[in-house]
Amino acid sequence: MLIINCPYCGPRDQSEFSNGGEAHVKRPDGSKEIGDREWGEYVFIRANPKGLFYERWVHTHGCRKWFNCVRDTSTDEILVTYKLDEKKPNLNNFKSVVKTPSGEPEVGSGNFTVEK
Amino acid sequence: MKSINLKENQFIQFHQKISFKFDGVKYFGYKGDTIASALLRNNINLVGRSFKYHRPRGIYTCGIEEPNALVQIISEYSEPNTRATIKKIYEGMEIESQNRWPSLENDFGSINNLFSPIFTAGFYYKTFMGPHKKFWKNLYEPLIRRAAGLGKPPKDFKGISNHIHHNVDVTIIGGGLNGLLVAKSFINTNYDVLLIDFDDQLGGIINNSNKISLIDNKEPKDWLKETIQEIEDSKNIKILKNTLVTTYNYINHLIAIEDRFVGSKQIEGKVNSTLHKIRTGHTILCNGHIERFLSFQNNDLPGIMLSSSFEKYMCRYGLAPSKEPVIFSNNSNSNSLVFSLIKAGLKPKAYIDSRSGEEIEPNLFDLIRINDVPLYTNSQIKGAFGNKKIEKILVEDSSGALNEIKCDCLCLSGGINPDVHLFTQSKGLLDWDEKDLTYKPSKPFQPTITLGSASGQFNFDNLNSDINKKLKTFKVKQLDVKLELNTNTKYNIEKLWEVSPQKKSLWAKSFIDLQNDVTTKDIRQAITEGFDRIEHLKRYTTNSMGTDQGKISSINALGIVSDLLDKKVNEVGTTIYRPPYAPLSFSAIAGRNCYEFYDPERKSPIHSWHLKNGAIFEDVGQWKRPWYFQINKEESMHDAVQRESKNVRENAGILDGSTLGKIEIKGEDALEFMNLIYTNSFTKMKQGSARYALMLGEDGMVKDDGIICKISDQHFIATTTTGGAATVLGCMEEYAQTEWPNLKVFMNSITEQYATFNISGPNTREIMKKAFPNINFSNEEFPFMTFQFHEFNGVPIRILRASFTGELGYEIYIPSNSAPKIWDNIQSLGKEFGLAPYGTEAMHLLRAEKGYIIVGQDTDGSITPIDLGLSWMIGKSKKDFLGKRSLTRSDTIREDRKQLVGIIPSNKADKLEEGQHIILDKEIKSPVPMLGHITSCYHSSTLGHDFALAVIKNGHSMIGTKAYASTSSMSTTGVDIVKPVFYDEDNKRLVS
Ligand SMILES: [Zn+2]
Repeated sequence: MLIINCPYCGPRDQSEFSNGGEAHVKRPDGSKEIGDREWGEYVFIRANPKGLFYERWVHTHGCRKWFNCVRDTSTDEILVTYKLDEKKPNLNNFKSVVKTPSGEPEVGSGNFTVEK
Repeated sequence: MKSINLKENQFIQFHQKISFKFDGVKYFGYKGDTIASALLRNNINLVGRSFKYHRPRGIYTCGIEEPNALVQIISEYSEPNTRATIKKIYEGMEIESQNRWPSLENDFGSINNLFSPIFTAGFYYKTFMGPHKKFWKNLYEPLIRRAAGLGKPPKDFKGISNHIHHNVDVTIIGGGLNGLLVAKSFINTNYDVLLIDFDDQLGGIINNSNKISLIDNKEPKDWLKETIQEIEDSKNIKILKNTLVTTYNYINHLIAIEDRFVGSKQIEGKVNSTLHKIRTGHTILCNGHIERFLSFQNNDLPGIMLSSSFEKYMCRYGLAPSKEPVIFSNNSNSNSLVFSLIKAGLKPKAYIDSRSGEEIEPNLFDLIRINDVPLYTNSQIKGAFGNKKIEKILVEDSSGALNEIKCDCLCLSGGINPDVHLFTQSKGLLDWDEKDLTYKPSKPFQPTITLGSASGQFNFDNLNSDINKKLKTFKVKQLDVKLELNTNTKYNIEKLWEVSPQKKSLWAKSFIDLQNDVTTKDIRQAITEGFDRIEHLKRYTTNSMGTDQGKISSINALGIVSDLLDKKVNEVGTTIYRPPYAPLSFSAIAGRNCYEFYDPERKSPIHSWHLKNGAIFEDVGQWKRPWYFQINKEESMHDAVQRESKNVRENAGILDGSTLGKIEIKGEDALEFMNLIYTNSFTKMKQGSARYALMLGEDGMVKDDGIICKISDQHFIATTTTGGAATVLGCMEEYAQTEWPNLKVFMNSITEQYATFNISGPNTREIMKKAFPNINFSNEEFPFMTFQFHEFNGVPIRILRASFTGELGYEIYIPSNSAPKIWDNIQSLGKEFGLAPYGTEAMHLLRAEKGYIIVGQDTDGSITPIDLGLSWMIGKSKKDFLGKRSLTRSDTIREDRKQLVGIIPSNKADKLEEGQHIILDKEIKSPVPMLGHITSCYHSSTLGHDFALAVIKNGHSMIGTKAYASTSSMSTTGVDIVKPVFYDEDNKRLVS
């Protein structure tokens, strides 16, 4: 189970939170003309990378605040959490600290116990 | 196998006798004995039948790695699959062997052994997938279900477990030599330390073998006592004994299970196990190693045991399972068994080593020579033989000649493996050590430190330096411990995974996984059939998929596969060891979240009245809602629902609607916010009026509905469906925070603060007048879809004129604490007007007659407001609201979407059912184009026949036509497609 650092409450157990999918997806402005494709992408399409990922979480069983984080999807490690009105951190800042079980392919399950 | 008691020790005293029963027969053991040691003391070694072939099986090990000796504890809720090598006996314990019928000695299922050729690798897959599918269902499955398997499920299981959380700096797993030394260096430091051992005694190898002769010039026993005392006295170290770490998760999160009743009977109603959830800064793995076995013909016979296990029985339990065991080894780890036997005044019947004479350690050589032990070097055991127990073995010596040796016990050592299960669970990587022939921890993925044999250090040379080096990150004292060994040898091993039998067909009797009955023949067959990837091979043969995860055998399997494929072992790879390390009971995981605490029950403030008045409840989410009220025990549900609904239409009914979600929305920008959340426009709505509203997802599909009361532009109260309350509040909060943070608006749930009574029916106005005499309920003063605040006997109440039944109706909102009194008052005042309570089923019927939908029943997340014929609810002039743009997507404006219609049987006497498909043809001829299905269906006393709501393709334009509803007996019922409203289409009754 993960420990998630709520920007408002501090580190808490994962069971208190709910995941809200990819962060920084902008909702198209409804007062303007929106094309089918643009709207469809907003509603249905989300990134699903292996590695660093901007993600939204909400402290459901806590302060009920939404916040953003950078999570390494291959290790589940949450590298930083930040408030919604804070600027998103540059992913390059984290490249050096990313540690996947080495020898792991770019895409795949991570089911390796022996160094390749 | 004839065992003898050795000397007493600190763990076993011969005056502390305990009686227990095994398969109904009474035996004696001593306090401190495990089931296994007690059975061995009584010369019992046949303890179970194997999983597939029902072969006789005995006690193979002396610890958690045990694959065979699984028993059922009758005296503890009949707990199955208990490892006899771990569970301690107590007075009056009752134990049964498993997987045999009618008895262990004469097992009917052992006939499977004769049919072993059909049970080989891939048996399940082949019979499932192959041309013999019918055989599977009719023959194999019933047969196998009876014959295969382990213990029987427990009866009336009432185990109670609690959960404890720990937050520490350091967790040391394993209290053996290394674990104790690490703990010692943390004594009186500022670190919070947890020392966990699975055993009830700390000491590990010091207690379980004669390997070490002196520690710091002291007897190991004395050193141990002193050290444990020092650790116990240190305030910063907590020791958890009888606790097995089963799981190593991300972020150094460990799960450990503590047995609270070691050596005594579980007491019903008391906590019998504790699940420890541990967060730790660092994890130090000192959990040692596991010995491997070897494969050869009949290597599963009772009487065969691992050599270190034999030594553990001697050192720990004062028991030699046999007076003269034969030892077969390919490595130096079994040297100390020879030493222990001779020290105890016994000696091996023979010592057989696959290594050559030069490879064998000189001190072992001397020991064997002096004591006149028959020695076979460069030799292998071709097979073991005997009836339900080992009676003789066949040894192929260096010259190739076969020698028969009679024996009652055979000790095996195929080398040792670091216990890497937890390390790999933590996602650490392993490295193959070609010299020691095993996988060893290399790169840790988390802050994990491995020490001692758990790290692959099988010698004691670097004991101090290794600990000092690996603990450098901590501010702890340097260690300097002097160690002297009895058998001063470096670990040495020669490659040997299996011994080929005399005939090829006998591979089928050479086992590689004892628990799952996998043979080396299965491995060969799997490779022949192309399953040569290790993860495939594992699943195809089920090798190491038992509850022991092949602890004594999985590396052997890799060795055999690598030889067969002519690859290096690290090219073959290894399978993943998965949590839990050993089986963990569901009751331990559930902890206190069971029975009435499994899922909380939510009850309305009127609940106790419902109980007294014959309510039959239905679960709506966590809520208990009256489904219908029985006037007497004989009344059926159908009759009750018809009576209740008829009474609403003719007189008046009252429904407890307290479970409806209620959300209060306040703030400067509340109006703008509500306009964005709901499809409707609230701008022109008058203060004090109410409106039925829809909430969509961004995909344009109906998510929830409810009534919105506008108190002012800055203050609204919204109701939601009972099940949707949390989601709707969550959605409002999400959008308020993430998309429109500039809007000044706040929202809060007031569901539980207010009770809601829905009163409806033609007599309602009279009842309301009586109940609230100072309020004017006339149509002019209190029109439909308006609400008013009042004070009643000092209680602030809100009355909303709305209806979900199609009759004149009012909803009364009352603070929960005052609600029961007012409810009682209305009940007694309403009697003269025929007022009666009704439940959710009658409510569903009444609303369906009016064509009112229930979100989640008539919609399923793929239905838009347009599909429901509710386009009038969409505020088209609004620039934006949730899901607005989706309503004009090409898919949502398709004409052949499923749309809501009404259905009535063409022949009014016909019955309809929920879930029936609507089709065009009377004859069912496949393929049948399906138009849609019935979502709600009831019998109406008012209409005198069945009626239904349905969603069908292009439904709106099919109104007025005929179709068919398919039945489960492959026939059809003719139906008319009509408008989805069956009663009072002009809403005259609503507004009267
Ligand atoms: Zn929080």
